[in-house]
Amino acid sequence: MLKGTIPITESDDSRVGELLKENGLNLAVSEARRVIELLGRDPTLVELTIFNTMWSEHCSYKSSRKILGELLPTKAPNVVMGPGEDAGVFRYAETGDGDWHCLVIAHESHNHPSQVLPVEGAATGIGGIVRDVYCMGADVVGVLDPLRFGDPKGPNARQVISIARGVVDGIAQYGNPLGVPNLGGDIAFDAGFDENCLVNVVAIGTIRESRVLRSRVPAEAADTPYKIILIGKPTDDSGFGGAAFASEDLVEGEEANRGAVQVPDPFLKRVLAVANRKVLDLAEDRGIKVGFKDLGAGGIACVTSELAHAGGFGVKIDLDAVNVAAGHHYPPPVVSCSETQERYALAVPEDFVDDVMKIYNEDFELPHLYHGAGAVVIADVTRDELYTIESGGEKVCETPVEVITTGIAYDRPKSPRKVLFEEPEWQEDRSLHDDFLKIMASPNIASKNYVFKHYDSEVQGRAVIRPGEADAGVLAPVAGNPVGLAVAVDGNPWYGIIDPYQGGALAVCESARNVAAVGGVPSAITDCLNYGNPEIEEVFWEFFEGVRGISDACRGIGLLSHDGNHPLPVVSGNVSFYNQGESGKAIPPSPIICTVGVIEDYSKSRSMTFKEEGNEVFLIGEPLDELGGSEYYRTIYGTLGANVPEADFVRERGQIRTVLDIHSHGWVRSCHDTGQGGMLTALAEMALGGNGTGKLGLAVNLDEFDSTGLPPEKVLFSETGCFIVELPPGNEREILAICARNRVKLHKLGMLKASPKLEVVSNGKALASWELGELAGIYMTGCRSIFGIEKGE
Amino acid sequence: MARSFKDKVAIIQFPGVNCEYETVDAVRSVGLGADLLRWNEDPALLENALGVIVPGGFSYQDRIRAGVVSAKDHIMDKLSELAAAGHPILGICNGAQVLVESGFIPGIHWESVDLALAPNVMEDRDGYYCSWTHLLHGGTDCVWTSAIGNEEVVPVPIAHAEGRFTTDDMEVLEGMKKNGQIVLRYCTQAGQIDPSFPTNPNGSLESMAGVCNREGNVLAMMPHPERASWLRQVPEDLGGGWGMKRSKAGGDSGKMEAAGPGRIFFESLRRWKEGGE
Repeated sequence: MLKGTIPITESDDSRVGELLKENGLNLAVSEARRVIELLGRDPTLVELTIFNTMWSEHCSYKSSRKILGELLPTKAPNVVMGPGEDAGVFRYAETGDGDWHCLVIAHESHNHPSQVLPVEGAATGIGGIVRDVYCMGADVVGVLDPLRFGDPKGPNARQVISIARGVVDGIAQYGNPLGVPNLGGDIAFDAGFDENCLVNVVAIGTIRESRVLRSRVPAEAADTPYKIILIGKPTDDSGFGGAAFASEDLVEGEEANRGAVQVPDPFLKRVLAVANRKVLDLAEDRGIKVGFKDLGAGGIACVTSELAHAGGFGVKIDLDAVNVAAGHHYPPPVVSCSETQERYALAVPEDFVDDVMKIYNEDFELPHLYHGAGAVVIADVTRDELYTIESGGEKVCETPVEVITTGIAYDRPKSPRKVLFEEPEWQEDRSLHDDFLKIMASPNIASKNYVFKHYDSEVQGRAVIRPGEADAGVLAPVAGNPVGLAVAVDGNPWYGIIDPYQGGALAVCESARNVAAVGGVPSAITDCLNYGNPEIEEVFWEFFEGVRGISDACRGIGLLSHDGNHPLPVVSGNVSFYNQGESGKAIPPSPIICTVGVIEDYSKSRSMTFKEEGNEVFLIGEPLDELGGSEYYRTIYGTLGANVPEADFVRERGQIRTVLDIHSHGWVRSCHDTGQGGMLTALAEMALGGNGTGKLGLAVNLDEFDSTGLPPEKVLFSETGCFIVELPPGNEREILAICARNRVKLHKLGMLKASPKLEVVSNGKALASWELGELAGIYMTGCRSIFGIEKGE
Repeated sequence: MARSFKDKVAIIQFPGVNCEYETVDAVRSVGLGADLLRWNEDPALLENALGVIVPGGFSYQDRIRAGVVSAKDHIMDKLSELAAAGHPILGICNGAQVLVESGFIPGIHWESVDLALAPNVMEDRDGYYCSWTHLLHGGTDCVWTSAIGNEEVVPVPIAHAEGRFTTDDMEVLEGMKKNGQIVLRYCTQAGQIDPSFPTNPNGSLESMAGVCNREGNVLAMMPHPERASWLRQVPEDLGGGWGMKRSKAGGDSGKMEAAGPGRIFFESLRRWKEGGE
């Protein structure tokens, strides 16, 4: 018999509600009753706290699971492990000795913590996501961070700017000491994020396929006694209730929630990463099977139950053995479920325990480096499939382990949002010259170089293309092997506002385009789906439409390394609901996609900067009358418009194939896709280069686009996805043939000149021209007022 | 087999450093042996090492001040002996901070802390700054720069928040200059010294990027040569001779695996070793 149970059975609904509230639990009354059904009795507080975490939206995907499972393609020939474990795994190159080099990738959000405590929230975001990759046994080789902030010039500017700076600072404070390079990310500003910023984080790692670890107690535990070792920081009450915090609306001024933000420690994480590697290498050398998992949401309870359940075992935890922060005593629910950072759990055979303990506690002196840190044995693996926690000589939890890991799911109703969007009334007499300067100065367009230089993008020495140098970051992951990896994140909030389906579809298209621009064959994606409250029917409809868009795009573009006969697989991801502030207004629908491209030969990846006088510049694709949500409409007309770009997967696939074909010939000198800000912005970015020092100019010939019937501004600022490529002269015939084969349009824009000037020419007449120096001045400093410091500050 | 560092370079792995593995690779790229030595292993292992490198990172979490806790670590007693005996020692970034906090650099008054690596002072930004810089070589004969020509320009990236060499002891500064200890200074691509940001990326006094001891066997440098040891590591848009070379190697992965500008520091050690044999 368990002591101290909560009397749910005999209480009426209102009393149950009170009991839950008194104990700080977010479970619905109906969910508490479901717990009774599963257990067959009243729960202890520890048990109820465990369910509170495991059934939070954050952990259980209770609103999203069904739709994700039905719609998203997760299987493809290159996939080793799809969604379900801490990170997805896919093969990218043969090792030459019968094994495969694999990429491990995880993608998460840390939105609410970052809104409340930006520095710590963003830092623990990085901390959590790298653990997910480390615990697959991989070496983490990069992180990326897609960020969405409020309007830096709007009524909440002060708070928005302070959050934006704090987040950048937090990413730098964690990522830099950890020794993991920043490979990029993107930043968008919109008033829709004033009350709820988005901090998404992606981590990638590399590992051989034969060494991928599973988050499960190995089958060997049926014959050999296994123990579970808790490694890392001493458990405290930081982050207690974190998963639940992420699963409710953000209410401003709710100071109490600050305790739900974890405390980051990149120093300890670095030492742990080095020590973990030693332990895992030793296990590999000796042929010892281990199970490894990081502690995140739900802490010890979650990690132990999942390790045991996945392996088909039970577990008996001695809570008194857990090393807690010095001088503290925490009640069992806190020790079981707190989300203290920098911890891992390792399941090893009993006779390997001493070797493991020596590496952590003696060789790497964890207890000396951090007060109370270390490796301790906290549990026995049992063969009875029973999940037991003991504390102070008493059982505080005892149930079949599958009860703990039983999910919960809801069928949420959805209904389309009915908002009418309209195109603006066209203004004939605008100054193209002045309008473009406004666009280049817009915080959404202006260079993010200022931010990137806060991050260490050089550590590990594998960077080939750094943040801001091209559409995707590029790594050379295997020494002496020409294989390269390209990574890019994308998600345009404005397309999603007008049409949430296109928002999802275009995020896949654009990030796939980004990796193709540097010669990467799109090989897998991850998705982080950021939306408002799923209990609101219109919000749930937005979510459903976004997932449908992603799904269609993955199938439509396909896995081009396999002739597109399989979908581009979704290998991992995350859903973040309840992104709305006190006003109750949900954020713009924000599915954010990370695409990884595999490059046959990284030396063919080029920066987006124009390279050489006399080279020719082409547009692959054609701008359409699709300026809905565009930078041009928003900045110049102050409206979203209606004609959002429509994803055309056949066209996307053809264009991507074209660019990859040209890459494989080694002809590409520079390449950039036309996204936000359209073709003219992309050309200016190529002329200026990532550091704003480019000196080659171009006169863009608009006569090429007469057949579209569009006014010059629409041609120049349409956000229909296309590629711009710079090629040495003399290849035009071959390029035309490649385009014809892939059924895509090609337009010759002009030839690079040694004069530092960007011009737009129509019928032999210059419509507008800009000195590159003038553009650089505006473009390179557009974000300074947000992230820069004033003199004397 | 017992561990030995005979004729090898030992890279000291203090807790929290994060550039140790790529530093091993960079040393090996010139054909020298290199291995890690954990901070709490037996310092006697260093006795017949060819040289010692204290790599970059955040040793001991930069507690109190960058480099200061490592400077008090008992392994530094052994490094002090080796330094005094003329063994080559290189501190990169956090390693430079350790050597300065240990008083090895500038070493005018041995083991007295006469120099500081203070927080960066930059135009319109503060804190951490990661960027490529250009280094002008000059001054005295230093083991670690011996293969670099006088007035030669070497591009190497920096990544730090506290890299501003400074001192308020003018006697020390004059001594360093007189002895030619300021062997690396931040400069423009063309080799001009310009004290303003970003040419001098952190506000260092005299644009100091690397300072050696009087004898030239110990060097503390803030830039990371191990991140510039292969041509593929050079940014394509860097410009100048190295940027051009990198851009021209586009499409040829063999050429990309050739030496980058930073390898010359490790190459210097190799030549020094061969010269001594």
